[in-house]
Amino acid sequence: MQASPLAHHFESLDKQAHAARLAMWIFLATEVLLFTALFAAYSVYRFLYPEGFLQSSRSIETWIGFVNTLVLVTSSFTVATGYGHASRGDGKRTALFFGLSVLLALVFLGFKAVEYTHHFQEGQLPGPFYRFEGVKAPGAPLFFALYFLITGLHAFHVVVGMTVLIVVGVLAFRGRYSVAYHVPVENAALYWHLVDLIWIFVFPLVYLV
Amino acid sequence: MAEPAAGHAAPHSHQARYLVVWVALLCFTVLTYALARVHLPGAWAVLAALAIAVTKGTLVALFFMHLWEQAGANRLVFATSLVFVALLIGLVIADNATRFPLANPPGSVGALPVAGADRDPPPVAAGSRTP
Repeated sequence: MQASPLAHHFESLDKQAHAARLAMWIFLATEVLLFTALFAAYSVYRFLYPEGFLQSSRSIETWIGFVNTLVLVTSSFTVATGYGHASRGDGKRTALFFGLSVLLALVFLGFKAVEYTHHFQEGQLPGPFYRFEGVKAPGAPLFFALYFLITGLHAFHVVVGMTVLIVVGVLAFRGRYSVAYHVPVENAALYWHLVDLIWIFVFPLVYLV
Repeated sequence: MAEPAAGHAAPHSHQARYLVVWVALLCFTVLTYALARVHLPGAWAVLAALAIAVTKGTLVALFFMHLWEQAGANRLVFATSLVFVALLIGLVIADNATRFPLANPPGSVGALPVAGADRDPPPVAAGSRTP
């Protein structure tokens, strides 16, 4: 075993875990607000251009968003399972389930790539680059500007989350965490759940309504 | 409203709970997809989709993210962020919903016709329009 993970400025592992957890929640709150700004922009322009947004939303492939939602929800489940194993001190299983989640995240990004390629071919691009013939209603270029901003920022979060899961998964595999101290696993899982949580709201707004 | 000190105190398994939540999330995803295919009239489609999204989000936050048994401070932080979400989106929509039409960009709902478009046929009609 390695030296204790207790940093010298904390009295006990318990207090260290508590501080780390609270800091993670504060960070997640800022992430929520980051996406809320984009959702607010979406609501404004959806309110101003209901027809353009409705037609644009119908012009993109709904099934990709649907499949991606199923994939991401499942990855959230595997991450939760991995965390459950960590809390019982089984680092190997944690690594296994985090690895599974990373594979699911790759599937998610794969579908995203197919989707983006399709948009580029169709000219469903933001603002002045919009060339799509199917929808001419005002507001359609704005829809795609917000579409790429929201899904792009979310995809970036998926990549960051995958990196975090890989790093923590490897450390868990090497036996870095224990029943007494596994707050990094918990925080990595929290981040991934937030990525899932945000997608749960992106899916209906972009693809369904 | 019992408040256990922290989730990590008891190492009992939550696996059954995760499984139930996962199946519920899959079902809600299928449901919201099916409802979107039906094309509910007007605002109902948005309302139904958002209600299902909020339900799914609540399940993820409470059980996958363990907000259910989280310490009070962490719950407070997350609840505060939701208050700001409501403020930001609510006030922004209220602002737009109560605007003077001239303030809306051309081509949008409630905006005046694009400059000149209504003036083309008889130039006399334009004078009576201006407030």
